[in-house]
Amino acid sequence: MRWLGALAVLVLLALPAVLGSYATTILILVFFYGFLGQAWNIVGGYAGQLSVGHAAFVGIGGYTAAMLSLEWGITPWIGMFVGGALAAVLGAVIGYLGFRFGLRGFYFVLLTVAFAEICRIAVSNVDAVGGALGLYITFTGDPRQFQFQDGRVYYYIALALMLAATGVVALLERRRFGIYLAAIREDESAAEALGVDTFKYKMLAMVVSSFLTGLGGTFYAFYLFSLQPNAMFGIPLSVEIILRPIVGGAGTLLGPILGSFMLTPLGELSRLYFGQGGHHGLHLVAYGVLLIAVVLFLPQGAYPYLRRFFVGSRP
Amino acid sequence: MAKTRLSRRAFLRSTAAGAAVLGFPLPLRAQPKTFKIGAIHPVTGPLAEPGQACRLGAQMAADAINAAGGIKSKGGLKLELLLGDTQTKPENGRVEAERAVGQGAQMLLGSFDSGSTNSMVSVAQQKRVPLLVDIAAADPITANVAKSVKEGQQKVQYVYRNFPTGSSFGRNAVQYFTEIFKEASVSPKRVVLMHANDLFGTNQMRGFKAAWEAAKPSWEIVEIIPWPEPPSDLSTEVSRAKALKPDVLAPITRPASAQLLLPEIRKQRVELMGIVGPGSPGLYEAGQFAVLKEDLEYVMTSVPWPSFKNPRTLAVAEEYAKRTERETGRRRTFDTNSGYSYDAMFLIADILERAATLGDPDAIVEAMRKTRFAGGLMQYGGPILFNEIGDNPNAIATMIQILGQKPVAVWPKAAALQKFVFPRPKA
Repeated sequence: MRWLGALAVLVLLALPAVLGSYATTILILVFFYGFLGQAWNIVGGYAGQLSVGHAAFVGIGGYTAAMLSLEWGITPWIGMFVGGALAAVLGAVIGYLGFRFGLRGFYFVLLTVAFAEICRIAVSNVDAVGGALGLYITFTGDPRQFQFQDGRVYYYIALALMLAATGVVALLERRRFGIYLAAIREDESAAEALGVDTFKYKMLAMVVSSFLTGLGGTFYAFYLFSLQPNAMFGIPLSVEIILRPIVGGAGTLLGPILGSFMLTPLGELSRLYFGQGGHHGLHLVAYGVLLIAVVLFLPQGAYPYLRRFFVGSRP
Repeated sequence: MAKTRLSRRAFLRSTAAGAAVLGFPLPLRAQPKTFKIGAIHPVTGPLAEPGQACRLGAQMAADAINAAGGIKSKGGLKLELLLGDTQTKPENGRVEAERAVGQGAQMLLGSFDSGSTNSMVSVAQQKRVPLLVDIAAADPITANVAKSVKEGQQKVQYVYRNFPTGSSFGRNAVQYFTEIFKEASVSPKRVVLMHANDLFGTNQMRGFKAAWEAAKPSWEIVEIIPWPEPPSDLSTEVSRAKALKPDVLAPITRPASAQLLLPEIRKQRVELMGIVGPGSPGLYEAGQFAVLKEDLEYVMTSVPWPSFKNPRTLAVAEEYAKRTERETGRRRTFDTNSGYSYDAMFLIADILERAATLGDPDAIVEAMRKTRFAGGLMQYGGPILFNEIGDNPNAIATMIQILGQKPVAVWPKAAALQKFVFPRPKA
């Protein structure tokens, strides 16, 4: 498996040389959503704490880096980590409230959604951070400002982010931390009875996950050059983030990446082929139907099936 | 039961084929040479209706240009639109622009909402593909690029806009308010500004407020009352406005909020000289008449509007209504959205006629800068031209009023088809 992974990385590194800009752009989104899905996977997949408010961390990360850059001229390369840290603080607050007071299942979902919505409404109403108008970043093409004349640089950054998050998850998975998280997911009371400090490990998972997601916010902001509260903090982005790991296989190392490789091109290709004629919206129906099919026929996500297909069928 | 099993080889083969399609979406067959334009609008999602109007406007204009012989100075070169859908998501603005450029688009057109448009800007500047913004009002879209060119961070500005900006909308509205009050020989003093608290509503509110502060007219904005968009109820906001004893209510609505606001004003019997909007959707569309009926009568709003004094506009509007009836079963009005996208396509044709060569994007930009185009169907304050920021200072709004359940241009005088009714008759 290891050599297969290395080969895949090599292929991905070489791809921009042969691909057109559209395919490169789609792959950038594949990596970006793969990265966000992987970050969510730590708390949502491994620890089993269903957060539906991860867009808040993207928003905090993106807005922080953009404000630091626009107001004080601080490079987003630094702003990215400040944004990540602030997202981690917010993650810690949400985690503390949720885990200390034992909110599980739907209640934790509601808590995360509520925080994301509070952030969205607050940002929409504070003129100092652009208010409902949002922030518009000037395109300069200056690498010090996290901007590149050549779109392929974004490809490598997005790839690096996805691989880094996967590396972090791989490390967690092999350590006691990962096993504790799986124990919490499977049966929290049993894990607690066995002496696992469930509060501590859930908090850690939340902080790491929100930090990584916050880093992604900077990429999103400086790739698209505009930040609007609805796009950065809204429920649709949170849903986009969790769809990848759920379809690919939550709580597995490669599930979010696989999910992103499935869903992102699916969304784009269906828009490309169904959205052209007069049938407005048919692509959304096609995307929805395919999504339902995946959930119906691959309820644990695609990765466990694929793994069985490639590894399990070997004589 | 026989099981069909996907072999590993077949799986890999189909995956590779899929990847190849993704990598090379260009049509493989030979085609006659055309000039490709990426026309990108939100044709699905929350802004689907105006987005579809934009797409149809652009398509009709391209068809008309091609039917009239294409770009004559370039041997009758035909225009071909590569259609894109942003779904009002900024990331799709970028993706669709990249796709269009990958398929050979030499110019981009779009994209209605400011967020998606700004992400198209980065593609235009990165790939040196001129972008004509047909609709999007946020000032920074062009101003940011102009600034980076001025400061030497970018060499050439590839982004130009033929649409009023948020600030010019405000200036127009304040001017029209003042002129109409004067012409009517009444002197309303107290104006209450009410607005949807979203990107568009806030942008419009700020532009209007800034213009009012700069113009210092005889009337006063006594209060600004926002509401969350879409609202579930506006009774509190309206009673707050009523308590301020306004002479004029100036609402910045969306279709959904207009459907709540106007009946609420009637129910609470707010005594007003009139409802005069600084410019927003929701107050003049065919669908709104069906719901709001008499509540819309005498409402005025300042919007970019087609010049219906122009016989060509009337002919195109009739064709547009017929085409929408054929395609959607409902006759739609040729208005702000379809009109500006229609004009944008003729503007592009004019630019291409004058460009020294179409192979060099900088030559197209050079022709764009020298634009003086008087063939637009919308109401302009002069020929279409681009200032140092890349905006058309002659893209202005028109004050329209609902008279006899139809939107009619009433101000400025040059555009007016009928005399306005202000103050409105008491119920």
